[in-house]
Amino acid sequence: MAPVLVWLILFLCLLISVIKYTLALILKFSVSGAKVKKDYTYQPTVSVLMPCYNEGQAVYESIKSISQSNYSNEKFEVIAQDDCSVDDSYQWMLKAQRDFTNIRVRVGRNSVNSGKARTVCNALQQSASEIIISIDSDCIFHPDAIRELAACFSEPNMGSVGGRVGVRNPNAGTITVIQTFLYYAAFQLYKIPENWTRSVGCISGCLFAIRRELLLQLEPKIRDRHWFGVPVNQGEDRFMTHQTLLHGYGTYINNDAICWTTVPTTLSELFKQQLRWRRSIIRDLFFTLKTLPQHVWKLHPNTVLTLVLTPLGAVVALLVVLTTLSSNPMAWAGPAPLVASLGIAAALSWAIRKYSSKETVTNPLVFGAYVAWSLVSNLLITPLALCTMDSRDWGTRSKEQEVPHDYVDGQEIAG
Amino acid sequence: MTTLMVKKLPAEVKKNFTLQGMLYKSVLTLYRLFAILALYGVLFGVLAYAFMMGFYAVNTSWAAPVILSPADEKSLSFTEKMVTSRQSLENLVVDKKRLDASIFEMGGHRAALLALAPELQAAIVREKQHNRATGPQLITLDQQKQSDNAKTQTVMLQAKQVEVTIDKDLAAGLITKGDAAAQRAALNQAENSYTDSKINEVMLTDAILEKTTTHTKSLDVLDKQAELRSEIAQLDIAINVAEKQVREEAQQIDRLKKAIATAKQTPYNLIVSGGGPLHFAFVPYDNQSNVAAGSPVYDCYLNMVACRKVGTVKQVFTEEEHAIHPIYRSDIRGFMIQLQLDRPESARSKTIFLNHKPLLF
Repeated sequence: MAPVLVWLILFLCLLISVIKYTLALILKFSVSGAKVKKDYTYQPTVSVLMPCYNEGQAVYESIKSISQSNYSNEKFEVIAQDDCSVDDSYQWMLKAQRDFTNIRVRVGRNSVNSGKARTVCNALQQSASEIIISIDSDCIFHPDAIRELAACFSEPNMGSVGGRVGVRNPNAGTITVIQTFLYYAAFQLYKIPENWTRSVGCISGCLFAIRRELLLQLEPKIRDRHWFGVPVNQGEDRFMTHQTLLHGYGTYINNDAICWTTVPTTLSELFKQQLRWRRSIIRDLFFTLKTLPQHVWKLHPNTVLTLVLTPLGAVVALLVVLTTLSSNPMAWAGPAPLVASLGIAAALSWAIRKYSSKETVTNPLVFGAYVAWSLVSNLLITPLALCTMDSRDWGTRSKEQEVPHDYVDGQEIAG
Repeated sequence: MTTLMVKKLPAEVKKNFTLQGMLYKSVLTLYRLFAILALYGVLFGVLAYAFMMGFYAVNTSWAAPVILSPADEKSLSFTEKMVTSRQSLENLVVDKKRLDASIFEMGGHRAALLALAPELQAAIVREKQHNRATGPQLITLDQQKQSDNAKTQTVMLQAKQVEVTIDKDLAAGLITKGDAAAQRAALNQAENSYTDSKINEVMLTDAILEKTTTHTKSLDVLDKQAELRSEIAQLDIAINVAEKQVREEAQQIDRLKKAIATAKQTPYNLIVSGGGPLHFAFVPYDNQSNVAAGSPVYDCYLNMVACRKVGTVKQVFTEEEHAIHPIYRSDIRGFMIQLQLDRPESARSKTIFLNHKPLLF
């Protein structure tokens, strides 16, 4: 009975996925309402917040790319906040401040290691701009990124806007090829139906724009996030997106606002990153279950669907893998999954080559390895995430420092 | 450049949260305990699963017990096929006998027709020879006849004058009426003879035509001869077809007999035939080297450890069987063996091992 139920759920998930992706294609190419009407004359003041931890020279490159933005230099600033990096990140920030004098760069440093979410909040304290853009310090930004994000806020009810995250190192190995395809499909297909109703479930922290007044409302909640007293440092992007929706604002991904990130190149790094993301997804599932009853009738049905299905998918995937391994272990080794993944790779490879040549993959066939990765990912990462919800590391970053503080009511107290 | 300074909360505020902090710590401790156990459980599960997969990938002595009963789908299918095969065999045998009889009968008829053909041919030849001989004679006779008739015609013209003379002589009283009547009768008779002679001439011409040219009667005979040959040819074809069918049916009979003989050597025949509880197992071809009649059979806990001897291999069946791998759930090919089990409950195990224990214990 149980396998039948699992297969039924899998079938429903597949059906929803097929409907969602089909809808995405229809919306992308034929429904103008799916896109925000951008007003480029609307140029609010913008603060680009850059939390940083052990990024080294990458932070300098990030600030450099922002300094080349096609946005009025008087209208935006960069606030780089170091979270007590143990490497020379802070020195690179200072060097960027000295070198890129065409824009205003402010550099700050936490007194203790506080995690990314609180570092963003700390950086926010120094900002007075109308729009806050939080970015990852290892990304390179398109010159139009700020302009594109700001233009979307001309829609009055728009709360948060994200950009598309591309891959800087698509051909560094099999792992980066897989991620390149997944990133591209996520932004160009999966998010589109969510864009339609301005109900994107998760805007990437790599490029996250939000109205200042909204972020000020959310700040205490961000600082207050904890898992039975253990501060939650991860998944602030998903949390902020979710909160934006619950506050009645719209969320949107502008695929013309582009940044490129260096994705993990080793299995170990990828595993840590995915584990961090999975924790965030599961935490969001709990949050959804807690808050949905009071919000379900206010939210758009598509928003509810997005908030429920995305985290539920991770749990269902685990059950599906367990059922498959017990009922037909060799199904993974059969030709069907491989052929399906190669078909997807061929389609995505063509699309990337045509529409985003910078991320062109030279050997798309290695995407076949995704079959093995999906098995490992779905089988191990979800249980591991469920059992390590009290973790507060940065995930893909190098070894964290000891955190010599107690945590009480969302405020940090130096130990 | 700025450095953010964090505030320190007043001590009383900290105090208010002590109870909550203790609650959190308790929950966290329980959660971490559960998490550690769960993660070790997951780790153990993954390792055990991987070990089992690897074990069955390299092990070559396992077999999968199969419980068969007369009501099984395969047994029922076997019974149905056996009945159908036997019925087909009987039908073929009957049909073959009928065909043999038919061929015999057609052969007799053909022999009779073949015997008739030379007689007909000889009659035709004889008749042709006779015609060749009598034809020219008749032509000569016909010429003579025509010559005779021409002379007779001249005589008949003269006889017309004689008839006039008779009338004159009778009128002159030179002859009596009786003489005149007698002379007229003689003349009339001569005219009749002449007419008969002309008729004979025409008939002689017909006879010559019949003997010297291809007459319709000859064509009728040739038609009969062609019919005879056609009938023989049709009989030849029918006999060939029937003989071919007989050969094919004979082959089918052989094949069916072999198939039935083979089917009798399968476990299903033993099951259908009855005779107490029987135990069987499926052996994949990869594990063939460990199979021999009389070799020991082991049953193990967790399908691989703490094994004990539970019986021996009684019989090895050679016919190919298909089955689902008990662990990998994939289709595999192999054959069946009959087991002599001291512990019948081992027939319900997922796997058993042949010849030796899979591990050291």
